[in-house]
Amino acid sequence: MSDDLVLVVEDSDSDIEAIARAIGRSHPDVRLEFLRSGTGVLDRLTADGAERPGLVLLDLNMPGEGGLDVVRQVRARPDLGGLRLVVFTSSEDQAEADACYAAGADSYIYKPINFALFQSVLSRTLDYWRSREPNVTHTVVPPPGDSSAQA
Amino acid sequence: MSEIDAGWAGTLHRLWSAAVAISSREQLADLVLPPLQRLPGVCAVWGLRHAVRGTAVVAYRWRGLPLTGERQALAAALAPAEAGPVRVLDPGDELRDLGITAVVAVRFDQPGTAGGSFLLAVDDTADLSFVSDCLAQVAGVTREAIRRLSGVRDEQQQQIRDALLAEASLQMDAVLDTEQTMYRVPRMAVPAIAEGCLVFVYADGKPQLRSAVHVDMRRLDAMLRDPGAVERLATPGEHAQELRARGRVIGLLVFLFDRDPERIPPAAFLRDLAARAALAIDNSTLYEQRRQEVVRMQQHLLPTRLPGVDGLRLAASYTVGDRVLEVGGDFYDVVVRDNGEVAALIGDVCGRGVDAAALTGMARHSLAALLQEGLSPLRALTRLNARLHLDGSWRFITAGVALISADRRTVEWTSAGHPAPVLMRAGGPAGRAGGGGVPLGVLEVPKLKPTTLELGAGDTLLMFTDGLTESRDPDGRMFEDAALGQALDRLRDAGPQALVDDLSRSAAATDDIALLAVRRDDE
Repeated sequence: MSDDLVLVVEDSDSDIEAIARAIGRSHPDVRLEFLRSGTGVLDRLTADGAERPGLVLLDLNMPGEGGLDVVRQVRARPDLGGLRLVVFTSSEDQAEADACYAAGADSYIYKPINFALFQSVLSRTLDYWRSREPNVTHTVVPPPGDSSAQA
Repeated sequence: MSEIDAGWAGTLHRLWSAAVAISSREQLADLVLPPLQRLPGVCAVWGLRHAVRGTAVVAYRWRGLPLTGERQALAAALAPAEAGPVRVLDPGDELRDLGITAVVAVRFDQPGTAGGSFLLAVDDTADLSFVSDCLAQVAGVTREAIRRLSGVRDEQQQQIRDALLAEASLQMDAVLDTEQTMYRVPRMAVPAIAEGCLVFVYADGKPQLRSAVHVDMRRLDAMLRDPGAVERLATPGEHAQELRARGRVIGLLVFLFDRDPERIPPAAFLRDLAARAALAIDNSTLYEQRRQEVVRMQQHLLPTRLPGVDGLRLAASYTVGDRVLEVGGDFYDVVVRDNGEVAALIGDVCGRGVDAAALTGMARHSLAALLQEGLSPLRALTRLNARLHLDGSWRFITAGVALISADRRTVEWTSAGHPAPVLMRAGGPAGRAGGGGVPLGVLEVPKLKPTTLELGAGDTLLMFTDGLTESRDPDGRMFEDAALGQALDRLRDAGPQALVDDLSRSAAATDDIALLAVRRDDE
């Protein structure tokens, strides 16, 4: 699993741009890969030799298969166990949040309108899950970039 | 100026230019450590970041001799305890064994943010005076860069908090539903300002958890399964803000943090958010109470049940339009007369609110009592019209009475400006009966329109108020224009209760809708 790779499943051009800009600024060490629909996610994750992302950021409402479908598909695959699934949506329907959690989503995060808030929400979400990766223990969360300090 | 001096002057100039453009402390280490390492006689450059509070070192950076393992404790011990000028320290045996003859050290602090130290391990070729001067200059650049970073960070965090308050206010203003309001507050807060947020509302003096959101819901669920933990969370404290509205404490807004202390928002901001949330929750609670009062009052204006009548099946429904806070003026009733006739009445007082409600109650009871006494619909409606004139009411009432004969074969429909009822023939198409007449309260002598209808076995007379026919679909088309006919076709074989229930759901009610259906039993 690549902790520094985030798979973003999002169909909106403006949201794709905003996510790339936000994470690019807050976590320049994170690589982003985009899919525009939920339909290809399982194939992407299970392809031979495919690099496994540390986290999948999912829009909820997309044409074809949406975020909830992806959560269900991924959780039905034991070989994809431990993959962080974060639903990122502006929906205010609590029933949708409940359905996502019931299906096995790790986070259900509000997608704000304001960009500063948008960036902060994504940044905190990445910080939280990256600090809780399996096999990594932190008493104090170290800032990124340790490896580059060795000259 | 020597060649080295001139080179350093250029380096320092580049450092100052670059220091104002960096956006993180990580970039800062990459910027300032390499030039120090290139100074003659410098074997290693170590950078330490100190905790905001306490003596801990939270990050180690280095160039040259790696600052790992036990050397970290050595470096922490060598680092000056407080900020001050550059000093030259004894390197200790371990470093001396590596050829280090001195450590040139400086510590710099910046109020409210993590301070740092630089330690330069030098050998006997170093010009200690020159290295000390260079280090003092780099410490100056670093201190200024940290001050700028700190200012930028504070400004960004303030922007985020302002944006959050604005979006939270927008979200809370958008709903008047208590549950929704209590859900939206923590949903907005997580994870922008806290990893978790819980809403407790006091009921009978005890805090009850009404809503909880966490960036990691499974972790929260596990925590909430422990009743002791929930009790501890519901205790006012630094991160549990009181929800105070109109002078009363209505609950608690609890924040859970799992982040660097520097990123925890100030208490004043959390109080501000709690104050807004409290007002929104209180508003929606008051709205809900008032709404329930209106619904109860509306129910008092309508018959609690329709009478059982031989030869007929009766059904009624009442739908309150929109989520308005005023009692509507629609009414209906059914009375059985001594001679076996049945009078089904329906009406609509114009306007809403307490005055309309009082008139609605009067109109329904007057008409029902007069029809019960055996008066003809014409006379009963005329008496009601006279009463409205006597009271000087400016409100008018549309009303219709269906008097069904004792043998259930005919209906005398009398309309005072009321929408024409629908007559659904058993096994046949539905058609509109006659409307007409002028609403009561308009003319001194009422103008009423009687129509006689035949009621065959299985036929249904469907009476309603204009809330049904005038409701509009999202494209603005009135229900009466197309959807009513389609719905009636679809409901041809439905029982009377299913008919009125389905119709009331089919229309997008903006006004109240009263429906009253009378079906003659099959032979």
